[in-house]
Amino acid sequence: MENQNQYEELITEVIEKQSIILGPDIAILKARNVSELVIDDQGKVTEIKGDKKAALQKIINVYVELSGMIVKNALSSIFEKYPDVEKINL
Amino acid sequence: MEILVALFLVLSSILIIGGFFYWKINKLKKDVEKNEQKMRRGMYELAILKELGDRTGYSLNIQNIIDIITGSLRQFIDYSVTSYIFVEPEKIIFKAHLEKSVSREFIDSIKKRMVSSLSAILNKDFSKTRIEEILSGAILTEYMNEPVRSFFNIPLVIGGRAVGILTIADTKTGLYKEDEMTILYKITKQASSAITSLQEVVEAEQRKLNAMVSSINEGVVMTDKDYKIVVVNPAAKIAVGLGLKEDVSIFDFIEKLGGKFDIKEKLEESVKLDKFLTVDDILIDDRFFQIFVSPVKSSFGLSKDEIIGAVVVFHDITLKKQVEKMRDDFTSMMVHELRSPLDNIKKISELLLKKKKSKSDLEYMGFIFQDSTRMLELVNDLLDVAKLEAGKFEIGKQSADIIEIIKERANFFKTNAKFSKVALETYFDPNTPLKIEFDSSRIVQVLNNLLSNAIKFTPEKGTVSIQTLLHKKGQNIEDEAKVIGAKWFLNKNLKNINNIPNSLIVAVTDTGVGLSQDKIVQLFSKFKQFRVAIEAGEKKGTGLGLVVVKGIVEAHGGVVGVASQEGVGSSFYFNLPLL
Repeated sequence: MENQNQYEELITEVIEKQSIILGPDIAILKARNVSELVIDDQGKVTEIKGDKKAALQKIINVYVELSGMIVKNALSSIFEKYPDVEKINL
Repeated sequence: MEILVALFLVLSSILIIGGFFYWKINKLKKDVEKNEQKMRRGMYELAILKELGDRTGYSLNIQNIIDIITGSLRQFIDYSVTSYIFVEPEKIIFKAHLEKSVSREFIDSIKKRMVSSLSAILNKDFSKTRIEEILSGAILTEYMNEPVRSFFNIPLVIGGRAVGILTIADTKTGLYKEDEMTILYKITKQASSAITSLQEVVEAEQRKLNAMVSSINEGVVMTDKDYKIVVVNPAAKIAVGLGLKEDVSIFDFIEKLGGKFDIKEKLEESVKLDKFLTVDDILIDDRFFQIFVSPVKSSFGLSKDEIIGAVVVFHDITLKKQVEKMRDDFTSMMVHELRSPLDNIKKISELLLKKKKSKSDLEYMGFIFQDSTRMLELVNDLLDVAKLEAGKFEIGKQSADIIEIIKERANFFKTNAKFSKVALETYFDPNTPLKIEFDSSRIVQVLNNLLSNAIKFTPEKGTVSIQTLLHKKGQNIEDEAKVIGAKWFLNKNLKNINNIPNSLIVAVTDTGVGLSQDKIVQLFSKFKQFRVAIEAGEKKGTGLGLVVVKGIVEAHGGVVGVASQEGVGSSFYFNLPLL
């Protein structure tokens, strides 16, 4: 349960960070393209359906596809806060 | 009844078929609209990429590219303001185009969001960085106090490094659709990637240039027209005390050179006046530099000869300065510690020789006088060479009678010649001027040297002659010599004497063994002469006499040389230009 919440919190933080970088409109719209994620209007992840790790990887890929590898650099500090989360390809 | 049923069935069929067609048409209409919209976006994407290609060509300036993108946006999406920020070493440039009037708060709000975005990407605090603001388009107004309700940021990335942010903002809520925003991200990414590729090519060339410049011992700093450093080598960084610091800017040089050398001012002066500048003796820390500043011009294309930047070269002259000081110290030491005592010994022995003494005393005193005289000559030669090399050799020209001086020298060497059983003769061109301008004591030194050498190297029963010829510019010396009956080895093949101005030529000719061409080349070279003298086991001098002769004649604006015929004899000549 704790692990599940960690993924939700982590992805919420990723969306928050991307909202600062790209703006909230595009950051939330793009996050909603990840079918596994249920996101409220403030960009908070309320539910993850299916494979959580896959959902995390998908949302990172969505942002990278949009604005390039540069957005990854800003995410490393977030991942450091969640050492228990299984590593993904940043 | 059957008819009614049939009618109902027909009507129902018509309705169903009609409904189906209506639905189908509607669907087709929507599909067409969707396709049209997709096509319009595609067309826009293509159009803007073409425009970028046409208008920027192979531009490496991201600001130009972004100006083109933002300039074409209005045909595609609605917005109040487009803006971008760029990070520069000392500041952030914020440029906004107002499509509609907005408030000051609106501008400040987007600026704040953009700086936050950049901080988040680069993990760097820009709160204290100066922001230079440039606004264009509609005016700012206090009456339209609408906040930012829709916006999105596009990071501007060149070579994997974020250099700025592009932002589109509006006062209306939920204005931007995902597809529209995605296209702009795509276009910006493509433009960035094109610039990155171009930049990689340029950087590869720059790396080659840097590698070349790095291997140069001189410090080299090359700037563009805006005085931004394009190339800098380690020697330049070390010269100003920047060590091996990476990414140095012109401000680092300004700071390090403060008060010693105004690099910015000199660069501006050189570029503005298109002038090569030299600044001598700049002391940086404990080293002396000679600094050269030169404009750099394009050598090809439409911009040929256009100034494209400037270069500063730091030439370390510390060692040269040290050698100069050592030479000065040495000269001073020679004068005080060697020449003065020797002069005293010579004068005292001369006095003692005049007094009546026993035969043996006179003989000893004679040795002292001769040896001290030779040593004094040697020291004087060394001093003269030191002065010549330091560029401090000076002559004092005065009007004097050259024939009188030559006669007097011939008379002085008569005893010496007689002792060596050599005839000493003089021949003067009847047109020799009565008075000409020269330093008589130095020309006496030249004649002494040439005559003593000539007598020394002429075998018994030989002849040494001193001859003069008044030469007119453009005339053949061989013909002129024939007219006065000069007997010497000078001929029309001597390169240095055949193109001289109006001059008096003086030649000392002997009937010695002559000199080979190899030896002639070595005669006036300091080091070779010294070696020859040592190899020959000569104890009478350093062989520097001819080096001094050359220096004296050249100080008069003349040339010196030797013409020789092996086994027959040699003529040592020089000229004194006439005013």
